[in-house]
Amino acid sequence: MKQITLKINGRDVTAKEGQTLLQAAKAAGIDIPTLCAHGDLEPAGVCRFCMVEIKKGARTRLVTSCVYPVENGLDVQTDTDKINKLRKMLVELLLPVAPSGPISAFAKQYGIEKSRFELEEGEEPSNCSLCGLCVRYCEQIGGENAVGFFGRGVNRKVALMPDKGEECVFCRQCYKICNSGRFVELSEVFPEQV
Amino acid sequence: MNKIRENKTMKKLKSVKDLKQLHKTLLAERKGIKKSVAICEGTGCYAYKSSAVADAFVEEIEKRGLDKEIVVRRTGCHGFCERGPMAKIFPEKIFYFQVKPEDVAEIVESTLLKNEFVEKLLFLDEKTGKRCAYQHEIPFYKLQNQVVFGNNFLISPKDIEDYIAVGGYSALAKALSGMTPVDVLQEIKKADLRGRGGGGFPAGAKWETTRNAPGEQKYVIVNADEGDPGAYMDRSVLEGNPHSVLEGLMLGAYAVGSNHGFVYVRQEYTTAIENLPIAIGQAKQLGLLGDNILGSGFSFDVTIHQGAGAFVSGESSALMSAIEGRVGEPRPKYIRTAVKGVWDKPSNLNNVETWANVPLIVNNGSDWFRSLGTEGSKGTKIFSLVGKVKYTGLVEVPMGLTLRQIVYDVGGGIRNNRKFKAVQTGGPSGGCIPEQFLDLPVDFDELSKVGSMMGSGGMIVMDEDTCMVDVASYFTKFLADESCGKCVPCREGLRQMKRILRSITEGKGREADLSTLEELGAFLKEASLCALGQTAANPVLSTLEYFRGEYEAHVLHKQCPARVCQSLIVFHIDPLKCSACGTCRKQCPTDAISGDKKLVHIIDQDKCIKCGTCFQVCPTRFSAVTKLPGGPAPEPVAYGTKVVQKSKGEK
Amino acid sequence: MDKTKSRIVGVRVNKEQETMLSQLQQKSKLSKSELLLKGLETLAEYSNLGPEQEPMQTALQRLEKEAVRHMVSLKKIRRKEEAIKDFVREIRKVDEIIDKHGCDPSMLIQILLDVQKQNNWLSKSALVWISERLGVPMTRIMQIATFYTMFSLEPQGRQTVQVCTGTACHVRGSNELLTRTESVLNLKPGETDPDLKYTLKTVNCLGCCALGPVMTVGGAYHSNPSVAELKELVKEHE
Repeated sequence: MKQITLKINGRDVTAKEGQTLLQAAKAAGIDIPTLCAHGDLEPAGVCRFCMVEIKKGARTRLVTSCVYPVENGLDVQTDTDKINKLRKMLVELLLPVAPSGPISAFAKQYGIEKSRFELEEGEEPSNCSLCGLCVRYCEQIGGENAVGFFGRGVNRKVALMPDKGEECVFCRQCYKICNSGRFVELSEVFPEQV
Repeated sequence: MNKIRENKTMKKLKSVKDLKQLHKTLLAERKGIKKSVAICEGTGCYAYKSSAVADAFVEEIEKRGLDKEIVVRRTGCHGFCERGPMAKIFPEKIFYFQVKPEDVAEIVESTLLKNEFVEKLLFLDEKTGKRCAYQHEIPFYKLQNQVVFGNNFLISPKDIEDYIAVGGYSALAKALSGMTPVDVLQEIKKADLRGRGGGGFPAGAKWETTRNAPGEQKYVIVNADEGDPGAYMDRSVLEGNPHSVLEGLMLGAYAVGSNHGFVYVRQEYTTAIENLPIAIGQAKQLGLLGDNILGSGFSFDVTIHQGAGAFVSGESSALMSAIEGRVGEPRPKYIRTAVKGVWDKPSNLNNVETWANVPLIVNNGSDWFRSLGTEGSKGTKIFSLVGKVKYTGLVEVPMGLTLRQIVYDVGGGIRNNRKFKAVQTGGPSGGCIPEQFLDLPVDFDELSKVGSMMGSGGMIVMDEDTCMVDVASYFTKFLADESCGKCVPCREGLRQMKRILRSITEGKGREADLSTLEELGAFLKEASLCALGQTAANPVLSTLEYFRGEYEAHVLHKQCPARVCQSLIVFHIDPLKCSACGTCRKQCPTDAISGDKKLVHIIDQDKCIKCGTCFQVCPTRFSAVTKLPGGPAPEPVAYGTKVVQKSKGEK
Repeated sequence: MDKTKSRIVGVRVNKEQETMLSQLQQKSKLSKSELLLKGLETLAEYSNLGPEQEPMQTALQRLEKEAVRHMVSLKKIRRKEEAIKDFVREIRKVDEIIDKHGCDPSMLIQILLDVQKQNNWLSKSALVWISERLGVPMTRIMQIATFYTMFSLEPQGRQTVQVCTGTACHVRGSNELLTRTESVLNLKPGETDPDLKYTLKTVNCLGCCALGPVMTVGGAYHSNPSVAELKELVKEHE
């Protein structure tokens, strides 16, 4: 496996070809916050917490470190003011939706007491950040495809296929991997039959 | 000749020579034709029932036994959609507009037989008062250069022979018989053809990346998902001239080394979905699709995928997911789809209009293409000029024409003598451009400098009666509904922006909301996963920049200066102008107006639902109902106040 | 681990039933799904099966329950035998659509579009059938079915009434047109009337902006119809 050399936060880091920036940083002991990344699962790149600034030649841009592959000569910054501002906004936006678990931990870490944002009148927080760990686990490792995403936009949610219930009773790995520490109560997907 | 021959059997062409022979034969067959009439059956005119007009023509000509000399063609879009149903008469290029089936007999008698005009159906130039008969006289068409669109008049999309008769597939034949794939690629590179789907990326460079990417199996893709509301250029090209797109696609496939293509077309385009398989079937019959095309050794086949109602599926990585049978959501990608696309194979995706330009470049050469347009943007562009403009429709102009020329010289300016306010370009990814920039040339780069973009070509003209806050709210709601919801910035950011904008239009906004919107906008640009999220804030940011006063009126004074936002506007009957005709009172759906003969009518603001009916129906000579930009309503006069008596002769 | 072996078209079967089905398959040279459908049709004719067919009974009874439930959701009152016959007919048509697209999993969305067009909705049975034949997990099918606006998991009206809310139509007053349409049909966008005659939808640009604000009824386009005109159109298409 070819060796790749790059800089992360000013430090020289050696990584293996095919690794992502997130993996290389972790191996070098550099901590990058994430919600949706997990060592055993393919990356999704949806929470955007792991964004880092990379400099290649003259060009600087933001990329998600969980997806971006390591390259020779890359200059990576994981903790700039710009990135922290973005992460704070992510927390502020997620607080109304998922005020418990990792989001509240992030909020404390970034010193955010209250969010400027709120849900529509009558809407309740779902406590699900839609990180998709449960879905990806069940698809890639569990092999059952019992949990899935449904709907679009703000109506996007995670739900369980009702017919799979009998097998799932013995597994429940999705509960363990769930980001908010407790699995969201799932309801049937199919509309009520008369 | 006038019966649609979509089901005719044709002999397979086995060589370029066969194609040239067919072309010759078709020209010879059509020599005896003295005149032809092209009636637009594009979706716009079809909605105006143009098929009945076409039927009437066919019937009339058959009745008179003239079907050997006069051809009636049901074609695709003619562009001047405002004035359909329209008929274009060849060879003179006379245009008749708003034709009804009852007019057909007169047209046949006067114009086709006696070469006389039917004056009432000709275009009336309001500026000069003259009737214009010929295409080059009509202001809407004068500045246009219809290199891509022009063939729409000459082709029945259900008949491949029409396409071949005007030289169709000759570019493919030229490439297969005398050019190497690299030759074709170089020609497109030299021509500087930039993608017409909105990105403006150099097509030649993309083709080259695909060609050089490792792997045997490569794909070429037509993006016909045209989701920008108000833009329908691709639909009209695909409906009216599907072969031009297929030929372009095949030239691209030849150049990059692909043997299979996909056309992803949105489901809402029913006529395009109808005409495309017919075109493909006919091309297959003739051997212009399939194995060993024209005996060259080049094989190519194409699969059609329909969209299912999602704007985001037009994004290239989302589109490719959908082709794989997975949900059409974008993926975070740092490896170009030209290198790893559908099933991780090199896939070259281009827009319909981009592909349609390819056969023209191969036939006429890159120098010809470069002679049109500006330094950075070569060629022409089709725009959909819609909204509050006089002449609505599709226009094809060389790049570099200014916004003013397009809106005023081609589009005829603002309808109903209202005042221009802004033109929205680039769809939901673009912004609103105010009056001070009307002299900007329209091309890929100029409009981005003022916070918008040319995009795929949508141009929505807005006037003084358009509320820019409402426009921003509309686009944000659209994008929030269409967001796939995967990534936090777009899903949650748009959720909050939609909520804030709606509350502003409802009079519940605060001043701090404006800076929150700006902050969210900048955030979405940086942090979103795909281009939908990254550009989603453009409508809000551009209206905040150029129309901040309107926003401030909404949040500080609870007023809508354009008098659009229903929660803010107030309807009021001017007691000095009301003459108690009673029309408003009788039509008010909530009985909110009280009054009687000779008594000033009064609106009960508590009952008023702001439907605007009273404003619409109050006779112009009184114009007593006024629409106020905000409350509170003026104190009403006491019930029982008599109307102002007007002496005879006083207005 | 191929879990699908213990299910036949969404119906759990045990080893005995599985073996019986394979034997029948070999004898008759029919596909698994074809066998089940034929069995179901037979069930409709006769009220009881002999002892040797007993293992099939549970599988078939589940399908029978499904068939009746399906008919009820379509607001069609049927005797049990008719319900099963209609149900089998519908599933056969889904089968045809799958075969038309070469039973190719990449054509999943196209298959769903054809089924939606044919039946005016995507029933659970149709989706389960598609999942089994294409070898595609139900989660993916359900994700697609709930992602796109073209699909409905509930029966829709025979006619679709669409109001265009694209930008050009918006600036020309599509909001008011929508309000008028809502009041004539007594429906909000997305809703279907109780007799399954109409479904009201909004659509983001039909591409005929010169007619704005535009709407369609049963595929025919209409420019800015008034309340009276709308009432006529609705009556026409009844």
